[in-house]
Amino acid sequence: MNATLGTAGVWLGLFGALVGVVTLGFGLYRRDDKLLEAGRKYTWVIVAGAVLGVVAMESALLGHDFSLKYVAENGSRQTPLLFTITGMWSALEGSILLWAIVLAGYLAVMVHHFRTRATDPLVGWATLTVFVVAGFFFALMAGPANPFRVIHGAIPTNGPGPNPLLQNHPLVAFHPPMLYLGYVGFTIPFAFAVAALVTGRLGEGWLVETRRWTLFAWGFLTIGIILGAWWSYEVLGWGGYWAWDPVENASFIPWLTATAYLHSVMVQERRGMLRIWNLSLLLATFSLTILGTFLTRSGVLESVHSFTESPIGPWILTFFGLVVFTAVGLIAWRGDRLRSPGSIDSPVSREGAFLANNLLFSAFCFVVLLGTVFPLLAEALNGDRLSVGGPYFNRMTTPIVIALLFLMAIAPVLPWRKASEEVLRKRLFWPAWTATIVVVLCVVTGLRGLAPLAAFWLGTFAAGSAVRQLVLSARRQGWRGLIGRANGGMVVHIGVVLVAVAFAASHAYGHTHEFRLAPGQSAHLSGHTVTYLGSSTVKASNKTSVTAQVRVDGGKVYAPAIQQFPFATQAIGSPSVKSSLGDDVYLTLAAAPDHPGGTAVIGVIVQPLIMWLWIGGAVIAVGTALAAWPGRRRRPTAPVSAPVEVETPEAPPEPVGVTS
Amino acid sequence: MSGKWRGRLPWLLMGAVLVVALVIGSQGRSGPMTEAQRVKHIASEIRCPTCRNQSAAESDAAAAKAVRDEIDRRVRAGQSDGEIVAFMVSRYGSDILLKPEGSGVASLVWALPVVAVVVALFGLGVAFRRWRSRPGVDVSAEDRALVERELQREDA
Amino acid sequence: MSDVDLAVSRSRRHTARWAAISLGVVLLLFVAVLATRKSAADKQAESPLLGKQAPSLTGSGLDGSQVSLASMHGKWVVLNFMASWCVPCRDEHPELVKFTQRHQAAADATVLGVIFDDTQPNVRRFFADLGGSWPVVDDPGGHTALDFGVRGPPESFLVDPNGFVVWKGIGQVNADGLDKLLREGKARGA
Repeated sequence: MNATLGTAGVWLGLFGALVGVVTLGFGLYRRDDKLLEAGRKYTWVIVAGAVLGVVAMESALLGHDFSLKYVAENGSRQTPLLFTITGMWSALEGSILLWAIVLAGYLAVMVHHFRTRATDPLVGWATLTVFVVAGFFFALMAGPANPFRVIHGAIPTNGPGPNPLLQNHPLVAFHPPMLYLGYVGFTIPFAFAVAALVTGRLGEGWLVETRRWTLFAWGFLTIGIILGAWWSYEVLGWGGYWAWDPVENASFIPWLTATAYLHSVMVQERRGMLRIWNLSLLLATFSLTILGTFLTRSGVLESVHSFTESPIGPWILTFFGLVVFTAVGLIAWRGDRLRSPGSIDSPVSREGAFLANNLLFSAFCFVVLLGTVFPLLAEALNGDRLSVGGPYFNRMTTPIVIALLFLMAIAPVLPWRKASEEVLRKRLFWPAWTATIVVVLCVVTGLRGLAPLAAFWLGTFAAGSAVRQLVLSARRQGWRGLIGRANGGMVVHIGVVLVAVAFAASHAYGHTHEFRLAPGQSAHLSGHTVTYLGSSTVKASNKTSVTAQVRVDGGKVYAPAIQQFPFATQAIGSPSVKSSLGDDVYLTLAAAPDHPGGTAVIGVIVQPLIMWLWIGGAVIAVGTALAAWPGRRRRPTAPVSAPVEVETPEAPPEPVGVTS
Repeated sequence: MSGKWRGRLPWLLMGAVLVVALVIGSQGRSGPMTEAQRVKHIASEIRCPTCRNQSAAESDAAAAKAVRDEIDRRVRAGQSDGEIVAFMVSRYGSDILLKPEGSGVASLVWALPVVAVVVALFGLGVAFRRWRSRPGVDVSAEDRALVERELQREDA
Repeated sequence: MSDVDLAVSRSRRHTARWAAISLGVVLLLFVAVLATRKSAADKQAESPLLGKQAPSLTGSGLDGSQVSLASMHGKWVVLNFMASWCVPCRDEHPELVKFTQRHQAAADATVLGVIFDDTQPNVRRFFADLGGSWPVVDDPGGHTALDFGVRGPPESFLVDPNGFVVWKGIGQVNADGLDKLLREGKARGA
């Protein structure tokens, strides 16, 4: 029953997408408004299909319907309710189902938002593009990644449950959905970029609309990445939060191009420039999400996150090839005609800073992408087997991050068109001096290390510049000075600085050690005292845990554990963390006692400022919400440069200042 | 102009203070490493064999402990960092290293980003030179007079 | 020159088109590389030890006696790194039993097990459950696994009668596959 419903949902979604593509295609070709109106209605068919699929899957998981292969491999009667629900996205096929429903949701919102302009070819092309993408994901579920496959033969009475690492922490309910809301959200701006290139219309109107879409998607992706780092920290037991793992990188690389776009689009709004850059960044962001999906699911790279092997790789790679071919082809065909004749007057100007920003983020994106796929390239070139890990990424990205922090400090105070030295000196005076005093204080209190100190100076400088902007804005407009794109952006910058400084500090000043302790014995590390009190063994419905009690700094007792799940191969370590604003004391049970009352090996990692990573993430989220707040209604500024004459069959040449 | 330099003075002072602080701040961290620090340093560049993506220094896994013990044994025996790393590679293969070595195909991963940045800067320079060689907008005498009139009206 | 004239003349240079086409060619090559990659799990069966003398291996067996690889010189040895908690090891065990039974009479090949991150009592229980009675060496500090570059169980090596490593396998083995390797090795005249 569940399998039938689910399969029906998948095919319904696929049908809706295909028929929608055909209808819209004809409508655009024949310029038939009725077909365009009809075509967009297939959105609801797609939504219905996705909803049906999700309902069928959750019903099967919650009802322990082991006749479904997916439930037989990922469900279990002993798994707690929350993890049974989240089991839907705990393995490959279900994750595609999650992608489909998020995409269907975004598609519905988009179609509803643009319903009054359904007959506009630009909207038509955008809808068609999203239909094609949706069709691909439903086709995956109809073919190689079928979540509703049925077991032939004996139906098992119980299953192994999701991977133990996915049953350890409630964050599994938030991290993947947030990540997908971000990842999948970039499809809509991509669709509009494609539509703009196909129709040859780059009127600033569509830009303002999709900028907010990109902001939302970007916000969700940022939260998703930070939650992933937090989860890695709380669950995986190695005391770190970012390993430059291929799957982590896959989520980070599109984030970089999306961030560049969010900044560079301001230049297009103000001066009508950097159009090709902006279109390319949008096309690149979506392409990179598809590439990221391929790297995650094809098994060509080893990773903590690797899904099980499946034949899905070639399909996704083919789709990636199609997307890239479309993107490159469109730019090659239309790109030069859409170029603005304006130019940047001076490198030391807001536009110059944003252009430098684009280049830096592109370099960042290139470095992370190169490092991630280099093992594959090297092997293809001459069979060399090598691997690229944390040390490479840290070394190569540090100069880029330093340059970005520097830009973050000076760009908000740079005027448009041209800056003078006096202006810069006046505006940056207090931020720069505050930063210098902070560094002097750090050195005086004994902190050492060029890299972290430089990070502290740059971070304070950038934060000071952002705070200055906010103070001036609030002074002018009261509470309204804190909302809107520019001010929200300053808050986001502050959040980013917090994350960067915390990253630098925790890497430079962390200490780790393992202590073999008998019950009652204490050990000291970095100014903290840990006392091992004893261990106990606890059996729960889905796991057996050996838990150690450890008192930290004479206060609360923490419980690092080793957990054994019945069907898993090895025991999973479960850390316990004492967090405070200053530092974190991270405890693991490295070795349980051989006999009751015996010695245990307790791992202790002390890292400063970890909490500020999560606080910084929250600040970024708040800043994004502030930036998305509709500010005082402002008409897009008429571009200062002359308009571009584009020969399109339907539209006459656009006069200056008209938004389409 | 002396005015410009007067404005720059506090900045030069700040620059000096900052440089002094950073120079002091860079000292005192690295003397010769103790044996334990050497072991940790070498282990941090070697992949934990059983984990998916951690270094042998970070991981609790049995294989990582074995790697750390072996490094410790060899450090005490007086072997150099290079010899110890070479031994690991001779058993596990070159993908046990977290950082690609700087020779052969592996050097590309270090060189390509630098090349890309150089090309980007070059392109930027070319673009700016091209933009600057554009003729500026000529301001006619009437436009100048118009602006003067309006400015005076604002002040009044 | 007016702005519009400049726009037209600049667009004749087609910068975006050439940039896009070059990027497109690079991406095409990239996709081709990705398309021809094997999965990561298949890749590791290359080992730097192939064709070289196997590292020395000694340790205490399940019955307490001393076991060494050198003492098996003159026979083909399937060196099998395993653990009781490893599910694929459980799956491949009957195949190893079959292999030892097939070669019992000729006594030309044998299996030597090595414990990977597990205890002797656990492994004794494993053998009691699943059968098989070949020597199994304990590896308490993981040194043997390190010497052979073993990442995780099950991994197997085929060592020829002169002590050279001729093959490495990651994941489960089966009796027929091992026999085939043996035949090929003998034919090569090792």
